[in-house]
Amino acid sequence: MTDVIRRFNPMKAEGIALILLTLFLLRGAWWFTVADPRDAMFAVETIVSGLLAGVMYSLVALGFVLIFKSSGIFNYAQGVFALFAGLFASGFMNEFGLPVWAALLLTMLVMVIVAILVERFVLQHLVNQEPIILFMATIGLAYVLEGVGDTIWGSDVKVLDVGLPSGASDTLLDGFGLYVEKLEIAAAVIAAILVILLSVFSQYTRIGRALRAVADDHQAALSVGISLRTIWVIVWSIAGFVALVAGVMWGAKSGVQFSLSLIALKALPVLILGGFTSIPGAIIGGLIIGVGEKLAEIYLGTVMNELFGLNPSMFTAIENWFAYVLALAFLLFRPQGLFGDKIIERV
Amino acid sequence: MFYRETGDFKASYAADLQTFPIALDRYRFWALIAFAFLVVPFLINDYWASAILVPVLVYSLAALGLNMLTGYCGQVSLGTGAFMAVGAYTCYKLTTAFPELNLIVVVLLSGAMTAMVGIAFGLPSLRIKGFYLAVATLAAQFFIVWLVNKVPWFYNYSATGQISMPERDLFGVLITGPAATPEAKYLFCLAFVFVFGWVARNLVRGRIGRSWMAIRDMDIAAEIIGVPPLQTKLSAFAFSSFYIGIAGALYFGVYLGAAEATEAFSIIESFFVLFAIIIGGLGSITGSFLGAAFMVLLPVTLKNMMVDGVGPVWASVAAIAMFAAGAIAMHSIATASTWLRAVALPLALGVGALLGYGVWTVAVSGGLDTAAAKHFEITLLGVLIIVFLILEPHGLARLWQIAKEKLRLWPFPY
Amino acid sequence: MTLHETQEASNSDADYAAAEIAHGVSPRRIGDVVLDVRDIQLRFGGVVAIKDVSFDIRQGEIRAIIGPNGAGKSSMLNVISGFYHPQQGEIWFEGEKRSAQRPHMIAKQGIARTFQNIALFKGMTTLDNIMTGRLTKMRSNFLWQSLWFGPAMAEEIRHREVVERIIDFLEIQPIRKTPVGKLPYGLQKRVELGRALAAEPKLLLLDEPMAGMNVEEKEDMCRFILDVNEEFGTTIALIEHDMGVVMDISDRVVVLDYGRKIGDGAPDEVRANKDVIDAYLGVSHD
Repeated sequence: MTDVIRRFNPMKAEGIALILLTLFLLRGAWWFTVADPRDAMFAVETIVSGLLAGVMYSLVALGFVLIFKSSGIFNYAQGVFALFAGLFASGFMNEFGLPVWAALLLTMLVMVIVAILVERFVLQHLVNQEPIILFMATIGLAYVLEGVGDTIWGSDVKVLDVGLPSGASDTLLDGFGLYVEKLEIAAAVIAAILVILLSVFSQYTRIGRALRAVADDHQAALSVGISLRTIWVIVWSIAGFVALVAGVMWGAKSGVQFSLSLIALKALPVLILGGFTSIPGAIIGGLIIGVGEKLAEIYLGTVMNELFGLNPSMFTAIENWFAYVLALAFLLFRPQGLFGDKIIERV
Repeated sequence: MFYRETGDFKASYAADLQTFPIALDRYRFWALIAFAFLVVPFLINDYWASAILVPVLVYSLAALGLNMLTGYCGQVSLGTGAFMAVGAYTCYKLTTAFPELNLIVVVLLSGAMTAMVGIAFGLPSLRIKGFYLAVATLAAQFFIVWLVNKVPWFYNYSATGQISMPERDLFGVLITGPAATPEAKYLFCLAFVFVFGWVARNLVRGRIGRSWMAIRDMDIAAEIIGVPPLQTKLSAFAFSSFYIGIAGALYFGVYLGAAEATEAFSIIESFFVLFAIIIGGLGSITGSFLGAAFMVLLPVTLKNMMVDGVGPVWASVAAIAMFAAGAIAMHSIATASTWLRAVALPLALGVGALLGYGVWTVAVSGGLDTAAAKHFEITLLGVLIIVFLILEPHGLARLWQIAKEKLRLWPFPY
Repeated sequence: MTLHETQEASNSDADYAAAEIAHGVSPRRIGDVVLDVRDIQLRFGGVVAIKDVSFDIRQGEIRAIIGPNGAGKSSMLNVISGFYHPQQGEIWFEGEKRSAQRPHMIAKQGIARTFQNIALFKGMTTLDNIMTGRLTKMRSNFLWQSLWFGPAMAEEIRHREVVERIIDFLEIQPIRKTPVGKLPYGLQKRVELGRALAAEPKLLLLDEPMAGMNVEEKEDMCRFILDVNEEFGTTIALIEHDMGVVMDISDRVVVLDYGRKIGDGAPDEVRANKDVIDAYLGVSHD
């Protein structure tokens, strides 16, 4: 961030845009705190639910970061991974009547098999290809997973009940007058635990260190006897596990259906904000997008009405694009993300 | 007559620059064009026009456009659907606001409008590259579709939120609307495809095309030898969007007749066109046509085979094709593996036969439900994308070229 | 096909000879300063890549830049071709002070280059690659381009003739239509030289043109470089590690070490310079 401040130049287009943006935000903040006739509690609720949704985005983004760091692949299929895992989990439970733990275990097994197949049939053949070719291959992968999942389990919306609590949290409602879903709190807690586990794993275990070695330099890692293939299978399995958690959470919330993979796609703007190689970046980026989206959905219309006299009803259902446009605007100022490494080009 | 370039001497650079250096190719090309313009209109019925030919033509234009941007200039875009929407909505607004405006002018203006929107969304491409840009185009995709759906002015405040094309004629012949004949629709689209296919070919073989390819292959080096990156990338965005805009206008105006943005121009549409150029061939004009045809024919064929059944003759053809494809694929997989190499041939024949038999049993009488066919189609598409990217990134066009290279020497091996 | 080619080759040879006589190009005349580099300093974050380096390049000479690995030679070339912008210092080209510009503008002014790690356009043929060198000189607008017949084609043919002459000069006629990705390393280097020549540069920068070549290929490349310099009168600045080659073909040599200039002059002077010997052989600092 300091870099941004140091390079700040009020005479350049970037500087002018930044000043305008700040003024705009200040105006919004003024309006938001002073002029808002609504209950301030509602704003807090919005922020909390944004944070909780953001944790879910972070979770999917983590899967992306893991794969990107270890293999330089931008895995478009990560969202469909979550859908795929959700389909299998709900299928095992609803169709076969398995208990929750068995269904989740079996689904994890499926995700490991997927990781092995992906390594064997896709990655191995595309090792030295351009990143963009790999990216398009993962779009193909997304289609395969979606097709296979639908063929096995059908494409109707499925209920997934893994015994997570539901309804509003009584403590928050009674104590503070806040309406927050228990499910969202549970999801946030689980995601937080997962994030900590993953950080510990990559920092302190042998496999984790090997994983980071591969991320730094494929060739060097190979030369000290780390098997790239094994590492890839492990990483994709972990990404599968993360997707499983995300898929189950979302599935529990709104049913397992195709739109789940589109929601998961929002991890892409999250990554742009956080930088593709940074785990803390993925988490903070997710929170920013989650909160920003919820706030914008509720207040952007009123703010635009206040500032430009536009019809506030026009600015509804913006959840579809807000994250992407935010990321796009951000990209223009800082292409490497909040925490990403600075790009130095060479010839 | 053998397929040869021997005896076909080029005495000038102009002759060497021809699109089809081999005489036989030239004759065949013109024969094909003559057939498409003069014979096909008398053969088609409503089903052929609206289910196959018109969509193939429309998607060919879109694929040409995306191929300029992605295949030639190396900038991946996932916003094709939205750019088609811009073309479609411009077409709709123009025809409803100026009923007297010539339909050709309307379509061209739709392209021009889309080109401008494309330039606006191409501006970030100077600073962001590769899949970062892909995410930026996703912003275009979701934002534009939301916008045209949200602001009632775009759909003339209609109650359903749909746009529907009024009846318009060209020289007294109805082109759009439900009363238009399939021949008229087909010829109108074909004319656009012919002219703009030719223009695309000219663009990519000259100064502009070389600048695009230079940026695609190595952007930094290109800039150092004197290719202005922003101008070049923006020109790719402009031309690409122009084509996609025209495709969008025809897609809405001639092919669909009525459309609703979230349905007709979703991200699925973007992938459809992207897959067309990957399968057809990145950086190939021919490939754009082949890819579009493939993408349109695949679901139709699968539905015919899996749901309706096609009878024993066609089922046999499909089974033999499946047998060959399966056997070749299995053979190449087996020979690459250390412990399967010994049994490669019997394994390949076995797998091929199994697949062929499976296809035959399904295709001969059909009977599967539509959803199953759809799921199978999605899976197959994904597999094909991966297979093409691994084996032949230049797609069907390259396979076609290899076949011609072989033919050029046939029957002598060298 | 072959018959046609040889005929064409001899034709253009004759053309070329005629052109030479007409223009009265007299080989090996070293003239005024073309490029003057003054007090350049280049930093990447905290790392100083080039520190207060000044030197000049004269019209028609072959100027070598040498130095151990990491001395800042390639960075220097990148500064000259405008890819890096130095924090301090001035660059004067043809008597005018150059402002910070994008690299493509600098290419347009007549500075062309090759790269240390070959930077050819892999998806294009040899012919197309060399044609990209002509892009700065092509003018026809997109309307004519889309029509092709008319000005676009005439322009294409005009530039094709120039490019064919370069292809003949570099003796790469048989690979004219081969995608460059399939060519062996030595030939790729030659094609890259061709692409730079196609721009008809006033100043040609060569970044290790002979790296990784065997003796025979090096001899060929030396011959081409000398021919370019003598026949076209092109000013050349080159980075090279092979001291034998450098001493043989260059008129003056500038030596860099750790981003500083430690020697400048004729090959013999540089060879005798104590700092240069120390930099190359190592010295005990006490």
